[in-house]
Amino acid sequence: MSEKPGIRYYDLRQTSGQSTHIDVDNGVIESAGTTFYNKAVIRVLGPRGWGILQIDNYSPLSGKKFDELLASAEKLALVPDDTVNLGDAPRTIRKVPGVKEDCRNVSIEEKAKLLLAVEKAADQPLVTSRRANYLERIENVTFMDSSGSEYSYEICRSGFSVMAVASRNGTVQMGYEPDHTIHGFNLRHREDKGHKAAEMAVSLLDAGMAKGGKMNAVLDPELAGVLAHEAVGHASEGDLIEEGNSVLKGRSGEKIGNDILTIVDDPTLHEFGFEPVDAEGIAVARTEIIRAGRVNAFLHNRQTLAAVGNGVAGHARAMAGEPPLVRMSNTFIETGDATDDEIFSECKNGIFLAGSRGGQVDPGRGVFQFNAEYGYLIENGEKTRMVRDVSLSGEILSTLHGILLCGKNRVMHSGYCGKGGQSVPVSDGAPLVFLRDAVVGGSGLD
Amino acid sequence: MAWIDELLLEGEKRVDELEVYSFSGTSTSAELKQRRVSLCTSSVETGLCIRTIDKGRIGSSSTNNPKEWRACLDAAIAGGRLATPQEWKGLPDPVVLPKEDLSFDPTVSPDPEITRDLLSQMLEGASEHPDATVTSGGAGIGIGEITFANSHGIRYLSRQSEVSVSLEAISGQSTGYEFDHAVSRTLVNPEKVGEQATFLAARSAGGKDIPTGDYNVIFSPMAYADLMSNIFVPALSGRNVLQNRSKLAGRIGEQVCAPLLSLYDDPHRKGAERSTWFDAEGTPTRRLDFVKDGTLEMFAYDLKTACRAGTESTGSAIRAGFGGLPAIGHHNFIIDGKREEIFDEPAVYVHSVVGAHTANPMSGDFSVEMSNPFCVKDGALAEPIRGAMITGNFFDLQKQVAALGKESRAVGSYILPPVKINNVRIIGK
Repeated sequence: MSEKPGIRYYDLRQTSGQSTHIDVDNGVIESAGTTFYNKAVIRVLGPRGWGILQIDNYSPLSGKKFDELLASAEKLALVPDDTVNLGDAPRTIRKVPGVKEDCRNVSIEEKAKLLLAVEKAADQPLVTSRRANYLERIENVTFMDSSGSEYSYEICRSGFSVMAVASRNGTVQMGYEPDHTIHGFNLRHREDKGHKAAEMAVSLLDAGMAKGGKMNAVLDPELAGVLAHEAVGHASEGDLIEEGNSVLKGRSGEKIGNDILTIVDDPTLHEFGFEPVDAEGIAVARTEIIRAGRVNAFLHNRQTLAAVGNGVAGHARAMAGEPPLVRMSNTFIETGDATDDEIFSECKNGIFLAGSRGGQVDPGRGVFQFNAEYGYLIENGEKTRMVRDVSLSGEILSTLHGILLCGKNRVMHSGYCGKGGQSVPVSDGAPLVFLRDAVVGGSGLD
Repeated sequence: MAWIDELLLEGEKRVDELEVYSFSGTSTSAELKQRRVSLCTSSVETGLCIRTIDKGRIGSSSTNNPKEWRACLDAAIAGGRLATPQEWKGLPDPVVLPKEDLSFDPTVSPDPEITRDLLSQMLEGASEHPDATVTSGGAGIGIGEITFANSHGIRYLSRQSEVSVSLEAISGQSTGYEFDHAVSRTLVNPEKVGEQATFLAARSAGGKDIPTGDYNVIFSPMAYADLMSNIFVPALSGRNVLQNRSKLAGRIGEQVCAPLLSLYDDPHRKGAERSTWFDAEGTPTRRLDFVKDGTLEMFAYDLKTACRAGTESTGSAIRAGFGGLPAIGHHNFIIDGKREEIFDEPAVYVHSVVGAHTANPMSGDFSVEMSNPFCVKDGALAEPIRGAMITGNFFDLQKQVAALGKESRAVGSYILPPVKINNVRIIGK
C-alpha cells in the first residue's frame, strides 16, 4: 500500500453476505429464498473532499490494478471544494458475541415450519388475517485503510415478525410483534409472539379514540426508547451538527432536561445495534449524549469529530457497499429510582402510551413525532379505558424538561433506522418514564 | 446476452417455467455540506433475479453477480420446493410491444461535472432568500438497462434514466426542504428547488400558534402523496384485499372518494419516471382506473394473486430494486380531477408531514406533525404557523376532498396537484 500524491487518505470496506427470507401469509408460504451479494466502497480523501467508488462484485486487487482503482476515486475527489480534516481515535475491534444456535445449522424447511407455528398462534377468534416474516442476514466485512489499519469480522442478524389483523363490524385493527437479534436463531418456541399480536389486534377493536391535546403522559420502555432515538439521538449526529441542521448545535453543556435524565448511545452493548468496530475502523464506545440533563457529547465519525469536536468518534455505520454515515446504534434513557406506582400516581390524570409504530424528527426545527401502538387513559393514578391511534409530538428543547421520573428497569427493543437512503439495525430502550405536559395527537372528539 | 439463454435452457430442464430479470446501471452523485461540495460518488450496479415455477411452487433468488447465475438458479429452485403450491396459470407469452423507451433520455450521462453544475444552479436559486442558510443537498444522475426474459420466449429490453436534486435549508429554527426528479436534465429545475427550500425556511420563521379546531386544509403534493402512499394505496393491492387487510375490500362500485377525484395508474405516460410497456413479470401494462369520479372500480393484481383471486393480472407487478421479488404496486400513480384556483379562499396550507409512516394502514387513522404550515390568504401563502398536529381518518377524508389545485408535479411514483380537504382537525399546542 503506497501513499499517492494528492491522496490524503483512503479506505476500502467490502461486505459480502447472504440473506434468507421466508414470508408466510395466512398459513401459506408465500415465498422463501436466498439472496447473495458482494459490494465494496472505496473512499479517497483528496485535498478538497471525498471521491467515492461503489463497486459490485469486488475481488481484492493489488499493485497496479489497485492503484488504478484509487486513481479513479481520486479523479472524483477533484469535484468537491470542501475543507475536510479527519480526527483521530482509538482503533480496536471487539469480539462479536457468540450465538446460542447458529442459523446456518437449521434447515430452511425447519425455519419455515417454526415460522408457520408462530403465525398459526395468531389464529384467534376475530382475527381475519395473519402474516409472518423471517429474515436472516449473514455478513462478512473486511476493512483496510491507508494507515495500514485492517480488520474483518462476521456477524449474523436474524429475526422474525408476526402480524394479526382483527375485524368486527367494519372496524379493523392490527397487532404486530417483531423480534430481531444478534444472538443466533430465535424462532424456536415463540408462539407467544403470535398470541400477543392477536390479543393486541382484538383488544384494539374495543379501544376508544384518544382526544388530542396537552396532557401528562406515562411512556412504556419501548415508546420512551423511541423518544430517546427521535428526540435526542438524531439531533446529536455530528454530520447534522456540522451542517447546522440540528437544534443541539452550539448547546454543549446547556441544560435541556432534568437532573435525572441521562441519554446514551452505546454500540458496544450486545443488542441489535451492536458493532464490533465502526465503518471507518474506529473503536466503538459508549457515548453519553445527555448527562444529568445537560448536552454532554455528540455522535461522530472522524470528519465530524474534527469539524465539531465535543463527542466520540466510532459512530460511522454503513449498509453493504454504501459510504458510512454518522448513525445511532443502541440508544436509551438511563434508569432512575422511581417505582411504577410512583410514576402513575405522579401522572394522576393523563394517558399511558405503549408500543411503537415508529417516529420521525426534523432535527433542524427540533420537532419530532411518534406513534404509540396503544394507550390507556390514566385517571387518579390508575389505568382505565384503552385507547388507540395516539401519537405524540414535541419540541426537543422543551419536551425533555418534562421527563420528571424514570423507572428502575430498562428494556431494549430492536428495529431498523433509516437515514440518507440507508437502513441500519438499531435498538432503543428506556425504563418507564413520566412525561409532564405531553402534546398528544388523536382524532377523538369531546 | 448469451448467458441468459443458457440459463433459461438449463432452468427449463429442471422446472416447468422460469423468468430472468437482469439489471445493470451506472450512476453518479455529489453532495453539499452547507454551500460546499463535500463528496462525489460514482457507482456501477448489476443484478440478477430468477424466479422458477414448478407445479405451482414459486421459488426465487437474486444476486448482484450475474456470473453466479448457476448458484442463483439452484437457490431459486430450492426456495420453490419449500413454497406452498398454488393455482398457477402460467407466465405470460411474448407480445409485440412498442420499441420506444418511455422513461429514458439518451442524452443523460452520469457525469460528475454535471452533478456539480446542478448543485451550483441550486445554490444560485437558494441565494434569493439570504435569510436562510443551506445545510445540505444532493444531485444525482443515473442510467440503467433492464433485460427481462422468460421460458415462454419473452425477451424485453428497457432503458431508464433519472436526474434528481434536493436541498435542505434552515433559518433560525425553521427548516425547508425541496426536491425535483425527472428522466431528463432539462425537466428538472434546480434553481427553483434552491429557491423553494430557502423560501420555506425563511418564510416559516416566526410562526404563530394555531388553536385546535377544524380547518379547510390544502395538502401540498408532497404531504398528500406521503399519506396516500402509506394509507390508501396499500388498500388497492389485490393481495391485501384477498388477505382481509384492505379497508376497501368488497367495496367495488361504491363511492370511496369525492366525485371530483379520480385515481389511476398510467404506465404509458411519456417522460414520467416509472413508465413501462411491461411489468416486473412481463405482463403488458395498461391504464388502470382504480377510482373513477369517486367510485372504486378495481384493484391491482400480479400473476399469483390474480390466480388466487380468480382474476387476471393487471400488469401491476413492480420490483423494489434489482434484488426485489415482483410484488403488487403501481407505475405512475396519477391523482386527477377538475382543477380549480384553490388558493383564493382562506385555508391552512401544509407543505409536508412528519411521521406519515406511523399512520394505521388498516383503519386509516393518523395524527402527524405538520411541516411548513401557512395561512392562505388572497391567493398566496401568508402568515406561517408555528407547528401543530393534523389528525383524522384518511379514508373518510377522501370523501371530503373539496378541490384540486391547478399544477401537478411528480413526487416519487405519484403525479398530483395540491389537494384541498375541508373540515380537517388540527391540534394546536
